[in-house]
Amino acid sequence: MDFDNKNKKSYDVKEGIKFHRIETNKFKTNLFSVFLTTPLNKENVTQNALLAAVLRRGTQSMPTQDQISKKLEELYGAEFNCGIEKIGDNTSIKFYLEAINDKFILDNKEDLTSKCIEILFEIVLNPLTEDGKFKEEYVEGEKENLRQIIEGKKDNKSKYAYDRCIEEMFKDKVFGLYKFGDIGDLEKITSEELYSHYKKIISECKIDILVSGEFDSDIFNLIKENKDIMKIKARKPVYNIEDEQRDFNNEKVIEEKLDVTQGKLIMALNMLNNIDNGNNVAMVYNGILGGGANSKLFQNVRERASLAYYANSGYLKRKGLIFIKCGIEIENYEKAVKIIKEQIKDIKSGNFTDEDVENSKKIILSVIQNIQEEQDTEIIYYYNQELVNNNETIREYMDKVRMVKKDDIVKLAEGINVDTIYFLRN
Amino acid sequence: MKIIESAKVKEKAYIEKIENGLTVIIIPKKNILKKYAIIGTHFGSIDNRFIMPKTGEEVFIPDGVAHYLEHKMFEQENGVNSLDKLMALGLEANAYTTNDHTAYLFECTDNFYEGLDELMDYVQNPYFTDENVEKEKGIISQEINMYDDEPSWKVYMNALDCLYRENPIKIDVAGTVESISEIDKEVLYKCYNTFYNPNNMVLVVCGDFEPEELLKEIKKRVIKKDNQGEIKRIYPPQEDGINKEYAEKTMDISNEIYIIGFKDKILEDKAEIVKRHIAIEILLNMLMGKSSSLYKELYEEGLTFVLPDLDYEFSSQYAHVLISGQSKDSKKVRDKLKEKILKYSKEGLSEEDFKRISKKVYGDYVVEYNSVEETARMFLADYMKGINCFDYIEKFGLVTFEYLTEVFEDCFVNNQMILSVVKGKK
Repeated sequence: MDFDNKNKKSYDVKEGIKFHRIETNKFKTNLFSVFLTTPLNKENVTQNALLAAVLRRGTQSMPTQDQISKKLEELYGAEFNCGIEKIGDNTSIKFYLEAINDKFILDNKEDLTSKCIEILFEIVLNPLTEDGKFKEEYVEGEKENLRQIIEGKKDNKSKYAYDRCIEEMFKDKVFGLYKFGDIGDLEKITSEELYSHYKKIISECKIDILVSGEFDSDIFNLIKENKDIMKIKARKPVYNIEDEQRDFNNEKVIEEKLDVTQGKLIMALNMLNNIDNGNNVAMVYNGILGGGANSKLFQNVRERASLAYYANSGYLKRKGLIFIKCGIEIENYEKAVKIIKEQIKDIKSGNFTDEDVENSKKIILSVIQNIQEEQDTEIIYYYNQELVNNNETIREYMDKVRMVKKDDIVKLAEGINVDTIYFLRN
Repeated sequence: MKIIESAKVKEKAYIEKIENGLTVIIIPKKNILKKYAIIGTHFGSIDNRFIMPKTGEEVFIPDGVAHYLEHKMFEQENGVNSLDKLMALGLEANAYTTNDHTAYLFECTDNFYEGLDELMDYVQNPYFTDENVEKEKGIISQEINMYDDEPSWKVYMNALDCLYRENPIKIDVAGTVESISEIDKEVLYKCYNTFYNPNNMVLVVCGDFEPEELLKEIKKRVIKKDNQGEIKRIYPPQEDGINKEYAEKTMDISNEIYIIGFKDKILEDKAEIVKRHIAIEILLNMLMGKSSSLYKELYEEGLTFVLPDLDYEFSSQYAHVLISGQSKDSKKVRDKLKEKILKYSKEGLSEEDFKRISKKVYGDYVVEYNSVEETARMFLADYMKGINCFDYIEKFGLVTFEYLTEVFEDCFVNNQMILSVVKGKK
């Protein structure tokens, strides 16, 4: 297996525009992607979300959505997708196109790769315009859709609880912005404004093109010489490599009421101590606390106390925060919080075994090993590395996780405290 | 071992019914790091009345037993929970229950044989006590409550209630808080002894293996059990027509969701089932897929902005088409679909659309072989239905335009439609 990242090569298309090629024969499909990265702020977050939606509506040569869909169906159901992602204090508009490899086509040979590249860039770089702006009808239609998405935030209650907790914790910071934006800002956006925002982004933002699969043609040339890529200029992109700091809370409790049968509890933990290899120690800590079925949360909140069906935790690397999530009976709130706090205290006082550490590491290592086993996971992994200028290989990454010892975890745990408790109840 | 093969998707499956009655299916995949093992029993939530082969006793069981049993299988006599043990090996382990089967699985990169030891051990050796059975009630009640808060689950259960009067597919897989209160260790053992006989089970493994060697390893890990003969399952007789045309529920959500359903006839001939399934998938895409005129109209009129999910669910007891989507006016979506069906029935379907969408549906089938997980799960689920899943690729060409038109008339034109809606509170 290749853990030295030899299967991935990066090239500069132009300054500020990079092409990353991941060569792999593990899949039936080839995946093509484009990421547009800009710093996250209140002004652009809603515009970016709307932009992603408007771009997929039509291009100069395929002015309607069903024309794009028909083209893709001809390419054996190539799947196009675009969306918006908040990555630390950046926002990224991502475009994906997945098509089966030519090898598996029914009868005659077709060059799907070059057709996919052409369509993908056509959608990103050559959108349909009318009188120097986006087509009015598309912008208005997508505004309405986006409004429904923003309002629909509360439909998935567990996810809503998590989003709300983050919003409260980062109230005056950009990271607290909802990735789909804000209804008030949305109403004000006009087609002219959106188009000038688009032109600004396309000429200034960081652009990454990532592909994964088996390519026989010289794909870098296909990209460099693509007519839409030739049109755009070199740039010195601005984006956040590091995020801004926030002040810690001390067990701030937030309660919110909605019509739910089950209460959704979120507890955010902050980390005071800066230690060597801190990110990897934090991941192992998180595994022991709430990573899987043998974690403290699962064992004590679910198995021993039968309080919850799900009780787990996740580590948000760019922010250095751990989020505990569980679904409980409303009246069991105090009981659950008490048990969870006991688990945090337990780790602080070193009340866990070397075996717990090894188990947690094993799960993390298997996740790292498996990065190359899914195309979009591998693409996202390299894109995130690109954003923080990290060239660590998968092997180095695994070695650093292996290095984590019980003492490191205790040292980190001493500075881990409850930051915010969010409870969604009826 | 018997070998079946798909030249088009370039995969092979090795099949053998070993001495103790267990069917083993191995799908080798070169160069893939991930390994996936899944063992399933042909016992799901619809099997609530049956005759025990050994005693001839007819048994009725409370709703939710198959799922309850799934939860309790992890419990071992030595106090170890097998799920913990698998996780401690760094494996990703899980289990699930459906209408027609229950499955236990793990995915890993290393420690495959240690994982297989544990999987085969706990599935073949149940340990139920009054105490450990009682303890699970709290956890499963929380799981049921969690689903109660999910609008997508409600709209689905209500759709089934529209389609059927008596069919056991209407039973919630997890049961209800009341029905599970009746479950005790006796009923769990009865069901275990009936349905967890190797003759009623299949083990599917996918990954980089030498099939014969793997088979030897599997044989070492099985327990000999008597072949008790066929399990007679008792289901209510098939009913003509539907239960009701419409169901509505109000929940605390902002975006209304719907399911439109068509009840299909149940076929005996397995080759016919695959053909019909392919035809229905093509038809669904022609009617309401991304490039369809109906989707375009709905989108442009602001009636929907999310592509509906198009599904066909079937077993020996049920068969239906489900279209699940989001709209602010679900009834209008249904009426417009009705109009389209009528229009195509009069004017004929488009052969050009058929050709293009066939390419798409074929491509979708190829993509399903992208991961060991999806491949293994697909083989397991299709085995339970008596289907060879390569047929979807190899027999694809048998679906002609004439055949498609026949199925269209049968399933969509001369058939009653149901609509299930979950509305938001105004």
